[in-house]
Amino acid sequence: MSIAGKYLTFALGEEEYGLPVLKVREIIKLMDITAVPQVPGHVKGVINLRGKVIPVVDLRLKFGFHSQDYTERTCIIVVEVALAASSVMMGMVVDSVSEVLNIGEAEIEQTPEFGERVTTDYIKAMAKVKGRVKILLDLDRVLGAEGTVALQAA
Amino acid sequence: MTDTLIQDIDARLARAAVDVVVSNDAQALDDLRTALEGLAVVLEAAGLPGLEELAGIVRRASAIATKSDLLTTVQIVDAAWTEWKTALEVQDVGRASGPVDAPMPALPALDLAAPEGAGHTVEADVEALRMDPELSGMFIAEALDHLSSIEATVLELESHPTDSKLLNDVFRPFHTVKGNSGALGVQTVQELAHKVENLLDLCRSGAHQVGPAEIDVILKSVDVLTALITDIGNRLAGEPGQDLEPDRQQLMHHVDQVAAGGGAPAAADTAIVAEAAMAAGATGAVTPEPAARASQRRQDDASVKVDTRKLDNLVDMVGELVIVQSIIYEDPELQRVADERLTRNLAQLRRITGELQRNAMSMRMVPIKQTFQKMARLVRDLGKKSGKMVDLVLEGEETELDRKVVEEINDPLMHMVRNSCDHGIEDAETRVGAGKRAEGRLTLSAYHESGNIVIEIADDGGGLNTEKILRKAVERGLVAPDADLSPAEIHQLIFRPGFSTADQITEISGRGVGMDVVRRNIDALRGRIDIQSTPGQGSVFSIKLPLTLAIVDGLLLRVGEERFVLPTFSVRESLRPRQEHVHTVHGQPCMVQVREHLIPLVRLDELLGIGRADIAHAWEGTVVVVDDDGRLAAVLVDELLGKQEVVIKSLGDQFKEVRGVAGGAILGDGRIGLILDGGSIVTLTRGGMSRAA
Repeated sequence: MSIAGKYLTFALGEEEYGLPVLKVREIIKLMDITAVPQVPGHVKGVINLRGKVIPVVDLRLKFGFHSQDYTERTCIIVVEVALAASSVMMGMVVDSVSEVLNIGEAEIEQTPEFGERVTTDYIKAMAKVKGRVKILLDLDRVLGAEGTVALQAA
Repeated sequence: MTDTLIQDIDARLARAAVDVVVSNDAQALDDLRTALEGLAVVLEAAGLPGLEELAGIVRRASAIATKSDLLTTVQIVDAAWTEWKTALEVQDVGRASGPVDAPMPALPALDLAAPEGAGHTVEADVEALRMDPELSGMFIAEALDHLSSIEATVLELESHPTDSKLLNDVFRPFHTVKGNSGALGVQTVQELAHKVENLLDLCRSGAHQVGPAEIDVILKSVDVLTALITDIGNRLAGEPGQDLEPDRQQLMHHVDQVAAGGGAPAAADTAIVAEAAMAAGATGAVTPEPAARASQRRQDDASVKVDTRKLDNLVDMVGELVIVQSIIYEDPELQRVADERLTRNLAQLRRITGELQRNAMSMRMVPIKQTFQKMARLVRDLGKKSGKMVDLVLEGEETELDRKVVEEINDPLMHMVRNSCDHGIEDAETRVGAGKRAEGRLTLSAYHESGNIVIEIADDGGGLNTEKILRKAVERGLVAPDADLSPAEIHQLIFRPGFSTADQITEISGRGVGMDVVRRNIDALRGRIDIQSTPGQGSVFSIKLPLTLAIVDGLLLRVGEERFVLPTFSVRESLRPRQEHVHTVHGQPCMVQVREHLIPLVRLDELLGIGRADIAHAWEGTVVVVDDDGRLAAVLVDELLGKQEVVIKSLGDQFKEVRGVAGGAILGDGRIGLILDGGSIVTLTRGGMSRAA
């Protein structure tokens, strides 16, 4: 599969990230999240999305940013994630949503090696658009079986 | 060019097969004809060698297709097409070295009989089905459905072997299964179904008599076909398969034997019929109520098959609608408006949404009939095996309960029916000696009782032998030798793990697994099981289940800003503790005295690590005593907000390891409240304390 395509970009701190648009189901305003016991700190809990219970992950905490109070621009991106056998809907709390970008092959660069300082497992590629770097995420890795979702009772 | 043509024709054929399966009877034939005509035109237009001939075959097939052979027609066209494609491949290979115009192979003759022959393998079938996952999924679901409907009818046929309507009812689904499997190339299934169909056809024509041997072989075929199709389904899902081929071969041989032998002409010997009927009756035939029998025949009630996910979605959306409706209804702004018309309209909206919710919920409800009928088959087989004579009486088959409950109740019910046949009902001699009828009677009934559903398994056997149970329990170390137990308490012992009183381990039951599993399954359904037993007269096991698993009655608890739902069935009581009743250890409150008992006390916020309670001292809050099968824990919360019926939602697989929580409920304001799981709350509270405590 080609990496080029339409991406939804959003901000975490000073950084810009991108998600394949096809994975995005909707973007909702922050709502009350019900906490669930015995889960890692970045799993904020569950929300009611029109009658469906879906888990919500704080991407800031997931990527090791320091936590920040939610603002008016904070929102939840609801995505569809492929798990081992099925796909599930999950929410990701991000600082703010930017725009949908058409990222061409020419703008994409392979993820450089950052050595041991940064985990690059979740990163599919980097894109340079109008002088800004967008980090394109491999969603299934971020939230998939190896990531957050294996919530063993700790 | 050829490739696109081939793809197009493949697609058309698949489409035609789908059309035949999904369209209704009246439309199917027309649809098929249209599809085949279209196909013939494409074939002729292609101008490739051999295709004109193929188009001819298609036209002929289309012309002679009848309603009953729709699928066979598609299958034949498909076979001819596949042959042509193979030939083309051969040509392609030869093209490099030889001339292109190699002769086309002879196309198969149009033969509307089902293909016969050995050497069909389940692997080939699986490959054939893999081509079209959607269609094969439909085929599997439908075939299994047909087979289970056959079983029920065959059992009735056993009691009424001359009823031609019943015979037809058995014949039709076999025919459908044969046709569908043939069309999809599932040859193992088709071959077997075809043989049985032949036998049934002989019976229909009067050339052959329905007797015990026929019934047996038909039932066996239902089993083997079900196993075959299930196995194929498993293989398609990537699971390991079973080797059912020996069973299949043996059975096919057996069917042929039955069909060949014993073919007494219908009118010649009515005694056989009577005998067959008697044999059927004595070995445990169903004696359905006349009303149930009549309704069973009324198969014309129109119904639609719906994907359960769609149904659950609908129920979800309706739940949301009800919540929004109540938010609007209770809106303080609207409350201030004193407009009569608005009030009336709002009340109307409220009534309609309520009605809609009830309707949506009722769509998940199915009658317990099918489960009961499986038991009929079980009793028949058990009776044959053990030589006991058991009459099964079914009552309240139309009683409806949640689809999920119906699925889950099957296994426990089977265990209990087995137990009743094996341990409950005595053999004929003992029964006659005790002045009872030689045939035992097992009654399965289902009915509603105050918002619950009750399923009863009643036998007229010897009753539970309390002495023997107690002795066994002492032997196994389940109770102390000097324990003083009431009969009811002794009865409950049979649900303890590792308990079995069968004098000898039979094939049917008595391995010491069973009743404890039954108990666990029923607990999981939030049900209860009670026993009433009278020595010498029999036992009644009654299972009380909630009508639906979707809704639970709960107490709404508040801790700080969080709210939780605790199902009422796991709550013993709630109280505001007095200061002198809260006992501390190392300065931490950890026991509360409720009347005579000291109960371990835990703050819910600390137990779950969620939220922060407003109260500083235990005696300022409310204590809820959680009861899990006699083990108690006192859970401290800020306050009790009230009782509420909530719809249970799973939190999803991601959270299945979380302890203390059974699911989520959407509360009146649209937020989710966690539903607590009484059992694991108690376990968490009591830490490593053993279950026996």
